Amino acid sequence: MWKPYAPSPNSWPPLTDTLARPGAPAAERPARPPRSRAWLVGAALAVGLLAAGLWALTVGPAGLGVKEAWLALASPGSGSLTPLQEAIVRDLRLPRVLTAAAVGAGLALSGAVIQALTRNPLADPYLLGLSSGASLGAVTVLLLGAAVVLPVAAFAGAMLAMAATLALAGALGCITPTRTVLAGLAVSSLAAAAASFVVFWTAQGDSYREVLGWLMGSLAGATWSSTAIALPALAAVGIPLMFCGRILDAFSFGDTAASALGVPVPAVRWTLLGATALLTGAMVSVSGSIGFVGLVLPHAVRMLAGASSRSLLPLSALAGALFLVLADTAARTVFDPREIPVGIVTALIGAPFFILLLLRRRSGA
Amino acid sequence: MTPPFPVSSGFLRPAAVAALTVLALTGCAGASQDPAQAQSPEATASNTADPGFPLELDNCGTEVSLDAPPERVVTIKSTSTELLLALGLGEKIVGTAFSDGPVPDAWTGSPVPPVLAEKVPSRESILALAPDLVFAGWESNFSADGAGERAQLADLGVASYVSPAACMEDGYRPSPLTFDDVFASIEEAGELFGAAGAAAELVEAQRAELEALSPSGKGYSALWYSSGSDTPYVGAGSGAPALLMESAGLENIASGIDAGWTPYSWEAVAEADPDVIVLVDSAWGSVEKKKAVLESHPVMSQLRAVRDAHYLVVPFAASEAGVRNVETVRSLTEQLAALD
Repeated sequence: MWKPYAPSPNSWPPLTDTLARPGAPAAERPARPPRSRAWLVGAALAVGLLAAGLWALTVGPAGLGVKEAWLALASPGSGSLTPLQEAIVRDLRLPRVLTAAAVGAGLALSGAVIQALTRNPLADPYLLGLSSGASLGAVTVLLLGAAVVLPVAAFAGAMLAMAATLALAGALGCITPTRTVLAGLAVSSLAAAAASFVVFWTAQGDSYREVLGWLMGSLAGATWSSTAIALPALAAVGIPLMFCGRILDAFSFGDTAASALGVPVPAVRWTLLGATALLTGAMVSVSGSIGFVGLVLPHAVRMLAGASSRSLLPLSALAGALFLVLADTAARTVFDPREIPVGIVTALIGAPFFILLLLRRRSGA
Repeated sequence: MTPPFPVSSGFLRPAAVAALTVLALTGCAGASQDPAQAQSPEATASNTADPGFPLELDNCGTEVSLDAPPERVVTIKSTSTELLLALGLGEKIVGTAFSDGPVPDAWTGSPVPPVLAEKVPSRESILALAPDLVFAGWESNFSADGAGERAQLADLGVASYVSPAACMEDGYRPSPLTFDDVFASIEEAGELFGAAGAAAELVEAQRAELEALSPSGKGYSALWYSSGSDTPYVGAGSGAPALLMESAGLENIASGIDAGWTPYSWEAVAEADPDVIVLVDSAWGSVEKKKAVLESHPVMSQLRAVRDAHYLVVPFAASEAGVRNVETVRSLTEQLAALD
């Protein structure tokens, strides 16, 4: 019914090709689980997110627990807490938890959308160079003092990197997942080298620590102004993206099939990729490049709730939010009163999970 | 910056470094033989001239051996430059690098040493000056992509030295750092540079000055804010900042962490709400920048010390273990007295 490698240079083969067990494509797209299962997973994730968010408000080096957090938020100025203690909960912990949730949701959603659009289970904002491009844009603004707003520079960097990746993959001939990955790798390395050069050249003394924390991805600097970028970006770009599952499901059967279903393939693909770059750029501009969230969480959700994009997108967003809230709380409390960049935590959890994923597929062959 | 796949620049780099190292070693082995042989008669001649030489010492776990006091010295970071200037050995400096700030007025009378590099110089640029010793402020300055590994430099006939107060290895790192460690470092440098007499005089004068200072009796708590904006990098419990704060009568809010400096959290700072904040002034992190970070931060702007502008200022070069520590204690006590 669909051709795996359509002759059109601007088409991708199906998602099943790269890592699927040979001769068992059904394993990649199992019989769709009952709709109720997706609802169940969604409800569990939503409850988990709410619980994790509330818990994160009650832990931290300052030792303000449940009671103090409640007092700080519910009855500010009542006199039972000092103004400074109230500010710790209201202006440090709360915006940080909200920013973590928004960034986690945005990155996981971007990953899920890119994986579906490129039919490439290895794709994520990192792999296609979006994160490195956004970093380069942001680092340039931060260190060279270019007169551009940070999220705009990050978006421009992400967009340029993605365009370069796809153009390069296209120039190699038919765009296959392998070519996309290799092109993304080249662009990502180039952007990373350029960003490192800017950092290396301008950072002095021990100020490199600051930049390193930023490049590793950190939410330590999150304030209400970070939340004011991350949450609206999620609402304006992320939420519409979540409802594109039906279109992405049409894509999963190949460009020809999608066209037959009435989807204007190139226009939709570029619109969705542009939206993803915008979302990634906004998130990277507040948190730095946090790795593995976009790659790993959509896979985790697929294991739990099936591969249908209609449920995958909202569930990935919820799972990403939950994951990053937990990871960031670990980053700021495990070594209390020291902090580590949250990107270290996500890589420590994400990389082994990714290896497991690869091994599971191999052993199934 | 961390692509999730193994084929990254980080993956390739060790191999490239290893290859370059091999090239460097094989390429330089022949060249380094000749100067060493040429120098040996001279070295034996100076043996008789200089008491205390040949000298061998265990420096942060690296064996340093010198046949005669070094005559051509490259200094990296201000602490090492200033130590030589304080010992009256400024004319032996053939190049300085990675300075943390301008040379203090006290020493501007002596010849101003030539500047080799603004940042950490490369090994080759150092070797071009044909030094007999490289004196660095941090052990980490001696890295393959910095001034060169210490063993490599030794093979090339260039000795390397780090002030013992700056050693990082367990068993070498002074923990906690005391003024005795600082003074012992000055005395050891005196022996190394063949200026033991000048070092002894300097230490005697500094001890007397330190004893004459009276620490603030107010028991003020303090944050030592060294750098950083998202994650503050602060003076911790066992290095030079801890020593300087304690000597000035300040109680360090981060004293529980056994390190010289540490990444800290704003939440912990807010919880402690310190009486004063020590701002470390450097070319890359000016006092103005740090004040701006504190005053624009939604929570830090509410700290008592920030609202009342209870700031103390210390130049970065004087905040690491070295000849300016006593001066820093004096400055801190004077600034504290001026707050009241």
